[in-house]
Amino acid sequence: MADLSIAVRQVEGVSVLLPAGFINAHTVREFEEALENLVQNGHYTILLNCKDLNYISSAGLGAIMGLIETVREHDGDILLSNLQDNVFAIFDTLGFTQLYRVFGNEDQALAAATPERKG
Amino acid sequence: MAAKMDHAQFKLVIPSQTRYLNLVTGLAKRASLVAGLDDAAAAKVSIAVDEAVTNVILHAYHGEGEHTVELELRFTEQALEIHILHSGQGIRSDQMVLPDPKEYIKHPRKGGLGLLLMSRFMDEVQFKADEASGRNECCLIKKIS
Repeated sequence: MADLSIAVRQVEGVSVLLPAGFINAHTVREFEEALENLVQNGHYTILLNCKDLNYISSAGLGAIMGLIETVREHDGDILLSNLQDNVFAIFDTLGFTQLYRVFGNEDQALAAATPERKG
Repeated sequence: MAAKMDHAQFKLVIPSQTRYLNLVTGLAKRASLVAGLDDAAAAKVSIAVDEAVTNVILHAYHGEGEHTVELELRFTEQALEIHILHSGQGIRSDQMVLPDPKEYIKHPRKGGLGLLLMSRFMDEVQFKADEASGRNECCLIKKIS
């Protein structure tokens, strides 16, 4: 199994990114490139569905932090869903759950990102 | 009869390359469970070790992959100690400046979070220099409750 694989799909104007494996100093460049590709192509609302993400280190957090201001300047956002307990602990310990909107599942996140979707 | 765990210890030496990080964090997680920590604590230890070893590879050795990083795991009844030794550029505990998370999220930027995660996830984080050997050490301690 690869250390990290990343699937991307578009759902009603939201770019859903599914990283599978782990994000650390070894794999972070691949994660950064996936995020940067979206932003460079004008996709500013990004949902990270982390259901298959086993862990993320500060290297991965830095990749997200590096883009959050850019996407918000374009009226977009980075949302998180399906965090495993240990991944949630990392975000929560650093206070990032106040900086990012975190949802239990992808549908809840998509509903928040596109309010017109579910009324 | 179960083996007596007092002062048990072993070492792992890896090349200073990030490709071995997952190997090390997997070992740290399993060692934490053997030491008696629960799954949540074991996950935190593994992240702290990832951060510490990453710092050695990227900062102490400036990304040069031909060096070595030595991890010594010590098991006592009170704690799991993970000593990370290297011959690169070291820092002392009094040089360890932790960012304020509240300020950090007001002014997001890359970097600076590894030491914070280590200090939050472990009970003790110490940096030491051995002038005789020229080696530096990061010691991570997780108490067994």
